Amino acid sequence: MFRVISGRSVQAARLLAPRNAVLVEAVRGRKSRTDPVAKSKVGRIKVPPPVDPVEMLVLKERYSEYELIMRALRLEFKEEVLRKKYEEETGSQAEERARQEEEEHRALINWNDEENLRMLKARILRVQKEEEEAERKKMEAAIQREQQLEESIRLREKEILQLQEEAKNFITLENLDQRIEDALDNPKNYNFAVDKEGKVVKRTVLQ
Amino acid sequence: MVLNGGIFFSAYDLRTLEYLQKGEIIFKNRVKIMTVNYNTHGQLSEGARKFVLFNIPQIQYKNPWVQIMMFKNMTPSPFLKFYLADGEQVLVDVEGKDYKQISQHVRKILGKSEEVLQSEAQAKMQASNPANFGPKKYCLRECICEVEGQVPCPGTTPLPKEMTGKYRAKMAESQE
Repeated sequence: MFRVISGRSVQAARLLAPRNAVLVEAVRGRKSRTDPVAKSKVGRIKVPPPVDPVEMLVLKERYSEYELIMRALRLEFKEEVLRKKYEEETGSQAEERARQEEEEHRALINWNDEENLRMLKARILRVQKEEEEAERKKMEAAIQREQQLEESIRLREKEILQLQEEAKNFITLENLDQRIEDALDNPKNYNFAVDKEGKVVKRTVLQ
Repeated sequence: MVLNGGIFFSAYDLRTLEYLQKGEIIFKNRVKIMTVNYNTHGQLSEGARKFVLFNIPQIQYKNPWVQIMMFKNMTPSPFLKFYLADGEQVLVDVEGKDYKQISQHVRKILGKSEEVLQSEAQAKMQASNPANFGPKKYCLRECICEVEGQVPCPGTTPLPKEMTGKYRAKMAESQE
């Protein structure tokens, strides 16, 4: 008929219930809405327990005093917490602390700026050096290229001269007859002999 | 395998809780956004790249409310930029520096110092006394019945008869 509820629905229902009561909910039980009352309960009139007025009066006074004190205590504690929070955020000490933090922050930021300046200077130097390096390399490359050009020109000139020299001994149409006559008159002997010691003998018999 | 003094066996080691909790940089409350500009190639960005690889996960773990953004290959030289709550911007040049140097530098200018951290830890300990019983929001436990080895809650299992108040009262009455 009544069931103690405990579990997830407790927290929500706890807000509605009185503070100190055990949380019960009415459950239908065995009978439905339309079932008639039991025979043993037919003429029953539910009578609440009788109240003693004297006792009631005394209890009322005591309870009112008690609740007054409890409420006052609770409010005191709440106020203390709020005051502490307020002091924490906007008290005299908080201002000092904020100022000090600000100063430290300023100092650190300045130090950081100095570091940045230092890095900047180092970087400028380095960039300058790199530029000089690049310039130097470019110059050297240009010189190299020029030298190579000169070399190739010299080589080619040498070849031309050599060719000119050889051109004096060429066989042309005018020399043809003369050269044939010379070749027939002076037979050349290309034979040679080699002995076991490796000595070359060019004076052999032409056949 | 990435060697770092301590030994890492894989890239996953950089995301283990053990590694993340070793992070030392905890930013002051006023730091809101952190931005890292670096390059993926080049000797000058080497320190910044290592910083991003090793230290950023730790920083983000310890400062979950700070936005951290990485920008790659947008700058000729690497730098860090911090945006504070009052609109101030702090620029940190990290060209050519080592990642440990960068981390120490950042900790010095914008990290909470040791004393501040310790005093905060002290305050937290004082505020939450584990011996207090009360709502779950403020204390560990609400009732002694929640502790292992103690008498279970009579709301869930009924107490043995000898421990109930009415039995004891009856016994006391019958004895007098």
